[in-house]
Amino acid sequence: MEAIQRLKDSCADSKAYARRWKETTGGRVIGTLCSYAPEELILAGGALALRIVGGSGSISKADAHLQTYSCSLVRGALDDALNGELDFLDGAIFPHTCDSIQRLSDIWRMNAKTGFHLDVVLPVKLNTQSARDYMTAVMRKARTDLEGVLEQTITDEDLQTAVDTVNGIRSAMQRLYKLRDDRPGAIAGSDLHAIVRASMVMDRNDFLSSLALVVDTLERKPEPGSTAAKRIFLSGGVCNLPDIYGVIESAGGAVVGDDLCTGSRGLTGLVDTGGDPMDAIADRYARRAICPAKHAGITSRGDDLVRLAKASRAQGVIFLFLKFCDPHAFDYPYLKSMLDAEGIPSLLVELEAQTASQGQFRTRCEAFMEML
Amino acid sequence: MITVGIDVGSISAKAAVVRDGELLGSGVILTGYNARNAGEKVFVDLLAKLGLDKDAVDRIVATGCGRSSVDVADKAVTEITCHAAGAHFQDPAVRCVIDIGGQDSKAIAMDATGRVTDFAMNDKCAAGTGRFLEVMARALELDLDGFGEMSLKADRPAAISSLCTVFAESEVISLIARGERRENIIAGIHESIGSRVVAMAGRVGLTEPVMMTGGVAKNIGVVRALEKKSGKPIRVSANAQVNGAIGAALIAVCHS
Amino acid sequence: MNGAEKPIDPEKEKRKIKSVGRMKDIMTHYYIEAKTADQTGKKVAWITSGGPVEPLIAMDVIPVYPENHGAMIGAAKMGVDLCEKAEAMGYAGDLCAYARADIACATVDGGPIGGLPRPDMLVCCNNICGTVLKWYEVQARYFKVPLFILDTPFSHTEYTREAHAYVRTQLDEYIAFLETQCQKKFDHDRLAEVGRLSMAGQRLWQQVLDTTVHRPAPMSAFDAFFHLALIVTLRGTQTVVDYYTELLDEMKTRVATGIAAVPDERYRLLWDNLPVWFRTRWLSDKFAAHSACLVADTYTSSWCGTLTYLDDSDFLGSMAQGYSRVYINIGTDQMADMVVDMVEKYSADGLVMHSNRSCKPYSLGQYDIQRIVQQKCGIPTLVIEADMIDARNFSESQITTRIDAFMEVLTGA
Repeated sequence: MEAIQRLKDSCADSKAYARRWKETTGGRVIGTLCSYAPEELILAGGALALRIVGGSGSISKADAHLQTYSCSLVRGALDDALNGELDFLDGAIFPHTCDSIQRLSDIWRMNAKTGFHLDVVLPVKLNTQSARDYMTAVMRKARTDLEGVLEQTITDEDLQTAVDTVNGIRSAMQRLYKLRDDRPGAIAGSDLHAIVRASMVMDRNDFLSSLALVVDTLERKPEPGSTAAKRIFLSGGVCNLPDIYGVIESAGGAVVGDDLCTGSRGLTGLVDTGGDPMDAIADRYARRAICPAKHAGITSRGDDLVRLAKASRAQGVIFLFLKFCDPHAFDYPYLKSMLDAEGIPSLLVELEAQTASQGQFRTRCEAFMEML
Repeated sequence: MITVGIDVGSISAKAAVVRDGELLGSGVILTGYNARNAGEKVFVDLLAKLGLDKDAVDRIVATGCGRSSVDVADKAVTEITCHAAGAHFQDPAVRCVIDIGGQDSKAIAMDATGRVTDFAMNDKCAAGTGRFLEVMARALELDLDGFGEMSLKADRPAAISSLCTVFAESEVISLIARGERRENIIAGIHESIGSRVVAMAGRVGLTEPVMMTGGVAKNIGVVRALEKKSGKPIRVSANAQVNGAIGAALIAVCHS
Repeated sequence: MNGAEKPIDPEKEKRKIKSVGRMKDIMTHYYIEAKTADQTGKKVAWITSGGPVEPLIAMDVIPVYPENHGAMIGAAKMGVDLCEKAEAMGYAGDLCAYARADIACATVDGGPIGGLPRPDMLVCCNNICGTVLKWYEVQARYFKVPLFILDTPFSHTEYTREAHAYVRTQLDEYIAFLETQCQKKFDHDRLAEVGRLSMAGQRLWQQVLDTTVHRPAPMSAFDAFFHLALIVTLRGTQTVVDYYTELLDEMKTRVATGIAAVPDERYRLLWDNLPVWFRTRWLSDKFAAHSACLVADTYTSSWCGTLTYLDDSDFLGSMAQGYSRVYINIGTDQMADMVVDMVEKYSADGLVMHSNRSCKPYSLGQYDIQRIVQQKCGIPTLVIEADMIDARNFSESQITTRIDAFMEVLTGA
């Protein structure tokens, strides 16, 4: 489909896209390091939020700053920044995430030449009133800080417009996810991954119109989904390896849902409209699907995973973690046992950004499908 | 009905022929640098040894990390499923299989029918694999074949703690320099593998009876180390090294 | 150990710190009290090493520190075995070894003291890492006890008004949590008193550490690692004040009589990061063989590093800042400034950094700190790759070579 191809092209080289966007529009580009970066505020400030999910190649300069026991996302991103690959950025926003990204922010601020540097130190727990109040206060501070570095006022009207766009994207993405759940294989896993990536890269209004076209077309053309394939749910963090979808599909699986950071996780929850926009934005970030580096209860992620896996009638769950990702690795044993209790088999795969569909991953997927 | 399983691993290629639920024979050769040729050769050699014609073979399943390069095979199935099938065939009571191969080690949990219910594999690091043993044998300037027997003569297994193969090798070298008995060093190497593999196998439950398969099962020292670390008796399949190939041949029956 | 049968080296005997025995008695008594809490009717709270213990003391709750226990597991060389158990439970081998050891230990009551007493509640303060949050979630599920999280936002470049208000509110929530768990009113006067004792203990601990400014240093960082246990576990009690008063006296006497931690101290080094608990003796001997003394470290000083933010007259009000701005909850550049200050204060000739696989917030950024120290202080630096308790991440031959080469650089050999 042409519309899908257009989305795929734009994020195939996200940095080239952002550079072009900047040249054409004269707008500013802000790199973001986590799905908790307040997109609405960046968009309202007229800037393009470019999500950085890793590096573009092998690691060279980052090794002088980061030990090898930090994840490939952190090392890769820093390597790009130090190699000048991100010099076109006007600034970078670091939401507080995990121990590694926390230090990455410092090292980046001290060494990279990527414009202004904003730390948005969000609460780590989300399930108390004081934490939610702090979330709102931090978001307000981020708005003021952004106004300062962008040297422009962000009005409530700007915010409302941005919220409408971002809400539009999140709603359309949920339709797309629903459609795939109903008809597995109607859209290839790598295509959906590309669309999610595009949602983190492209001019958000352009993205929304292309996305609407894709969803409309797919909804109108009901092709029966693949029924023979095993229904697979993906759980985990950042996985920017489009190849893995092909491996899963050729092994006989069809991905029917995910809670990935490079998947549905950052696209859940709409911002309420009608009230104070800042309150509503903060509220949405406290309610959206949670990252394991945050806390909303001792079994909240397990409850969510079981609910989602059951809702999508998943026959198996594949955990995709970046090696050295502590928050995910800590959750794995209890998530697995909660799935076991529901009779849902699971497979754990530790990934590193540069090692995509190597033999072992293929073997594991195939063995898992054979087992199901 | 005659079926064949061909297991092309990183170090050796194995083949097994099964006729009506009975193992007719098996063969092993080194894989070398050309997995495609090795898969073909171990198959042809075995048929010749058994005096069988290619046309007599009904179905062939390939397995192992070189499974997709075996052109004669009708189907490729992973070594996880094959090892479970092979172990179940050799001893239907078995509920957990530990397979230590050249570059992978695996723990496989299975039900009463031999079906895989869960599995775990080592990460890409070589610790806890056959390759680790090879590196250590080189450091000790010894032949790997004698490792098992020698380690049983250890009086005090040396502590080799590093997880990293390179670091562990340097530990072995300093033990040699310190004049530690070879037997103790080898036993220490086996215990290091045992710890690593038992930790991995714990993730799938290590339900008894446990069987060890794969080429490394021929090393009695590793088997004892696994028993020591897990506190559970380990059964060793008589055809440990060709267990994956046997499983593949059995799976070929089901899929025809 | 039966020391009587060994020949006594009078030189070594003279250098031994005499307070060690008393310290061991206090810790033994403390663990006995904690482990018999179910008989005495006292409640037990597990708390993170950087967490605010004073409200627990004020409520007569016995604080228990899994991290202190982790150090004991490491020193007893039982870390690897427990870490392997945790890996068999599905925890990745890359996770914090304290967490792995503790999680495994809870299920088997292993380790040098047969496990920690069962907690009635868990108190987790994330001012030291995000790892403790995940670790305490695991234990909250395992023990099925309430978990209180004190969320202390990280200060990359500033301690914000917003963060302060948030932490201050949470301290009230913490007190309310304790009132619910203990079913009694919180005594604010008692907290003020505990706060005074806590600050007195911290000041004394800082004074003890400061005695190593003297050349030769009367104690080394390896001694500090040992004597640290009290300021961590019993902060806010008279016991700590008394003990450190005694230890300070001993150190002053050693200074006055010229007793050095390392005989013929010629080189003074600063240590960064947690100790390698299972190799403290080995490392200490290694450096001493080069006439080098580790005179100070960034780790043990963390338990008295925020005294400037604390206020005797309004302890509760100042706790938010005191607990939020601890050494590893601040930006890498601020940490580097503090290391530079310590190099100057203790006249260090070199910096030894333990790149600790278990501790990312402490270790990531070390290479930058290393460069800053080299630039600002012009002293040699060394990075050792190891782990605080997982001996599988320690290569003796590699580290020996590195230390020997570092000392060659330092001595200009």
